[in-house]
Amino acid sequence: MSSRIAILAAFLAVAVAIAIAARPHDPTAGERVDRITAELRCPVCQGLSVKDSGSETARQMRDLVAQRVAEGRSDSEILAEFRTSYGDWILLSPPLSSWSLLIWLVPVAALAAGLWIARSRIRGGAVLAPPPSPSELASLRERVAAEEAAEG
Amino acid sequence: MARIARIAVVVAMLGLVLTLALAFRRDPHDIRTGTVGKPAPAFSLARLDGSGQLSLAQYAGKTVVVNFFASWCLPCEQENPALVRVYERYRGSDVVLIGIDYQESADGGLAYVRRMGISWPTVADDDGRVALGYGVFGPPETFFIGPDGVIAGRHIGPIDEPTLVRAIEAIRTAATQ
Repeated sequence: MSSRIAILAAFLAVAVAIAIAARPHDPTAGERVDRITAELRCPVCQGLSVKDSGSETARQMRDLVAQRVAEGRSDSEILAEFRTSYGDWILLSPPLSSWSLLIWLVPVAALAAGLWIARSRIRGGAVLAPPPSPSELASLRERVAAEEAAEG
Repeated sequence: MARIARIAVVVAMLGLVLTLALAFRRDPHDIRTGTVGKPAPAFSLARLDGSGQLSLAQYAGKTVVVNFFASWCLPCEQENPALVRVYERYRGSDVVLIGIDYQESADGGLAYVRRMGISWPTVADDDGRVALGYGVFGPPETFFIGPDGVIAGRHIGPIDEPTLVRAIEAIRTAATQ
């Protein structure tokens, strides 16, 4: 009995520990700076985020983000400030705007158009082939019969 | 049906060619990023010669050419003669040239300014805040601000005299209309 209680207590303790560890917590200022700078593209690097870059420009951008976080600005406000200066390009995952949406839509539209053309070609080909006439059918049957007779 | 498909393919190809032609016609030095067409970010920075602060606001109503430079930037040296000539051309007029020293100590910037014979106002942006506000990728970069305080254009990379004069005159012409 006591061993069952001990196992139950152990399970409860583990469950409570997991619940405490998994509970959502407010990110610290440092975590917010990391999260925001991970979304920003370093302007002087090749495909690196501001968080991952060691350049002077990236350091200055990190300092600015840290200052804005300390001032109480929201993540979206801070990102908007950089977008005002550099445009959507500054975001490593730019939002879908009319032009970027076009970049995604054109290949899909081209694929759909290609499939449609291929389908119409295949269908058109099947329709264009006329069925054999009775005389053609008769001559074909004769030919098959002759070939079968020749083979023995 | 096949005719419609053929026409659709031709139209799509023409659209692609037109898009590429328009895209390649654009000069990469004149990329219109974030700040073009918007009010120029205000700034107040220390003058390199130590004679106090310079703020953009004190040039309100004038055509302002803001040039980001650095002593470690070779293309900045290349473009400097053009800036000197343009500065002399518009000296005493409604056109103002401001040099912003980018990412370096004031001492390094001042030595460069003296060596290159720069006599227009120059300021230090040692923490890069002004450059970030303007969306600068790296020096040299030149911004053209109209009398209304709006950024009318920018030039990425070394600039030459005709481009400078063309941009300045375009702003002056627009301001008089």
